[in-house]
Amino acid sequence: MTEPLLSVRDLKKHYPIKKGLLNRQVGAARAVDGVSFDIAPGETLGLVGESGCGKSTVATSAIRLEEPTAGEVLFNGGDRRGATRNDDGTHPNDVTRFDKGELKAFRRDAQMIFQDPSSSFDPRMTVGATIAELLSIHGMTDRGRRRRIVEDLIERVDLSASDYDRYPHEFSGGQKQRLALARALVLDPDLIIADEPVSALDVSVKAEVLSLIDDLQAEFGLSLLFISHDMSVIREICDRVAVMYLGEIVELGPTEEVFHGPEHPYTEALLSSIPTPDPRATLDEIELTGTVPSPTDPPSGCRFHTRCHRVIQPEDMEMDQAEWRRLLTLRKRIESREVDVEQATENLALDDEPDDLSDEAIKSQLRSEFELEAPLDSATAEATLETALDRLVSGDADGAEEVLSSSFTTPCETTHPEFVDHDADHKSACLLHVDDRPDSRIGVENVPQ
Amino acid sequence: MTPDTDPLLEVANLRTTFDTDGGELVAVDGIDFSIDAGETVCIVGESGSGKTVATESITRLVKSPPATVTGSVRFDGEDLLEASEERLREIRGYNIAHIFQNPQEAMNHCYSVGWQITEALTIHTDASQEEARAKAIDLLDRVGIANASSRFDDYPHEFSGGQKQRVMIAMALVGDPDLLIADEPTTALDVTVQGQILKLLDDLQEEFDMGILFVTHDLGVVAQIADRIVVMYAGKVMERGDVYDVFDRPAHPYTQQLLECLPGTSDSIGGIPGSLPSPTDPPDGCRFAPRCEHAVADCEAGGQPREVEVRPGQAVSCVYYQSGYDASVVEADTGDAETSRGVGDD
Ligand code: SF4
Ligand code: SF4
Repeated sequence: MTEPLLSVRDLKKHYPIKKGLLNRQVGAARAVDGVSFDIAPGETLGLVGESGCGKSTVATSAIRLEEPTAGEVLFNGGDRRGATRNDDGTHPNDVTRFDKGELKAFRRDAQMIFQDPSSSFDPRMTVGATIAELLSIHGMTDRGRRRRIVEDLIERVDLSASDYDRYPHEFSGGQKQRLALARALVLDPDLIIADEPVSALDVSVKAEVLSLIDDLQAEFGLSLLFISHDMSVIREICDRVAVMYLGEIVELGPTEEVFHGPEHPYTEALLSSIPTPDPRATLDEIELTGTVPSPTDPPSGCRFHTRCHRVIQPEDMEMDQAEWRRLLTLRKRIESREVDVEQATENLALDDEPDDLSDEAIKSQLRSEFELEAPLDSATAEATLETALDRLVSGDADGAEEVLSSSFTTPCETTHPEFVDHDADHKSACLLHVDDRPDSRIGVENVPQ
Repeated sequence: MTPDTDPLLEVANLRTTFDTDGGELVAVDGIDFSIDAGETVCIVGESGSGKTVATESITRLVKSPPATVTGSVRFDGEDLLEASEERLREIRGYNIAHIFQNPQEAMNHCYSVGWQITEALTIHTDASQEEARAKAIDLLDRVGIANASSRFDDYPHEFSGGQKQRVMIAMALVGDPDLLIADEPTTALDVTVQGQILKLLDDLQEEFDMGILFVTHDLGVVAQIADRIVVMYAGKVMERGDVYDVFDRPAHPYTQQLLECLPGTSDSIGGIPGSLPSPTDPPDGCRFAPRCEHAVADCEAGGQPREVEVRPGQAVSCVYYQSGYDASVVEADTGDAETSRGVGDD
């Protein structure tokens, strides 16, 4: 395999959480928690995930706008090709070890563009001068030459050379993003990291800027790390895509393969929630329960297990998957003492049966709130649930927790899934793929395309 | 539902202008639309289309001055543009509720969420403190806030973005409104959360029998929730109609191109060249003329073309649909768009 342009290895970025008078560190938000990927020369890799998944932090720590906590970022661009590891195991191309001078050179070869292009321009300077400034910082003294290069680039992003002398406020959002592209290109980089570059743009403009990025990438032979929350934009522009959840990559593969046959349940859910512009499309969206957990205390085992619709069932029970999901959610809520018997009683009183506030009525109210119709498919599960609910309504939440935690278990909460290779270059981290489970083909049948 | 056919809301010739240093800015330039009880109408447009100003003109949320709103907005027989500020406050409290893209802006950070809803309830209903509390918890529960009674005393910052929008919806329901105006309520949310909120609105619409006026730029969202669509561009209505008709057979060149801009459509065109006309100096003819590939001399003068009904309920403002023109010139594209976007596309 040819040498990747960028190779990120086990990258971590943890933000310390400090408390108290002594400002002691009490924990860490693990925004990026062991992320690895390669980008080949001329390739576009997409990084997709919901807000808070750490995708932007991957970018900022990979180019050291923030210092990463751990990991390697090997950049083989510029004149750094073909380097080998030092005797002590470190790598001369490791961005995380670059000194000031090396960092400056690296910042010429790797450029970043952001969602808000205004951040790249000084409102008091003409856009041409702002772009040309980069050339003079990097040593080009000939004024006329600087101007010619910048004018040429402004034309390449489909604006006119005379725009050189205009100010940022004179441009629309889409035009400013074009100018930000010109600015990113002026030093002839090998890598561009684009963080949500079209998310703030209107539909009609978004498509234009995307196709411009695509053209320029081919023309300049750029590698692109393209970060977006928008799956349809990713599909338009990326060769491969990495899906992130809570600081980790959960699936990585060629874009079309990932879209057609997602292997990780999270990818599957993400794809199913894209609204299709077709009023006849039935919404068989996979509903994810709950919200994204906090990165300070990520769930044990598979981080997605608190929301996963395919979370694995205990071996001694067999039931409808959706029912199992709801049981597990009930267990988690009881463990965190979030199930409110009083509230259930109140709801009961508000509804139509104010006279019957017996324990049985409260239990069935709780069951209906969690959509756990009696009896459950599995007799074992039914008996366990009843015992737990009895304890809960009699005020013994600890007892309820004990029963549930010992019976309603899943390997997903204890085992952290490693990557499993599917087809060439396509891998995902989900336990369903580990022991050749019969139900391990995910997604293929129910992802709308 | 009452058998009478009067729409719940009927907007006619609505025009909203702003006095600016650069002259009169025409944000909304004489538009008509209506909403029936229990129906969802989507106003679709890009930024600068005037869609937000149009909806904020309905209950005069736009500040005046600098804004001037003319035309008529009939709600349940009453012209809201004639109503006093006091009457409007009442309307906003009971009849027409708003939710916005950024729920945090509409909330008070210094008070607990429960307090804010209870406060609204005691103002708008004659509930006692205790009843209001119970009702507030019930509302939070209905909009899907888990564990509502223990979240009651939490402050806005303790809720995630999606939960905040749920709380806003709960507040909007306080007065049991007939009409909910939702301005890009899911735009700032993650796509998995967006789906949940859209579904919630759908459920609540039925439960509360509300009309919904939904403002968005996202055609995927439109396809999912709209009964009818109004497509706006530069302050004017370009096209309107039943959601199926407009998606299957978009008649206006702007609508057609907008649909083709969607990433993932098989022959996505790479955007619409050009940019929005200046709102202080709009074109004399069709607002879309400077960017329209079909534009002819008649498009450049004489105001926005009169709307022509192309099929029941679907109307379009483009000269090609007027007599003396060959509509098939623009319709030809429609056929393409339809086949390229069929179900089972790729
Ligand atoms: S490991 Fe378990 S919880 Fe995680 S994605 Fe796979 S099935 Fe879901
Ligand atoms: S009226 Fe003319 S400019 Fe406007 S949409 Fe029709 S053809 Fe295009």
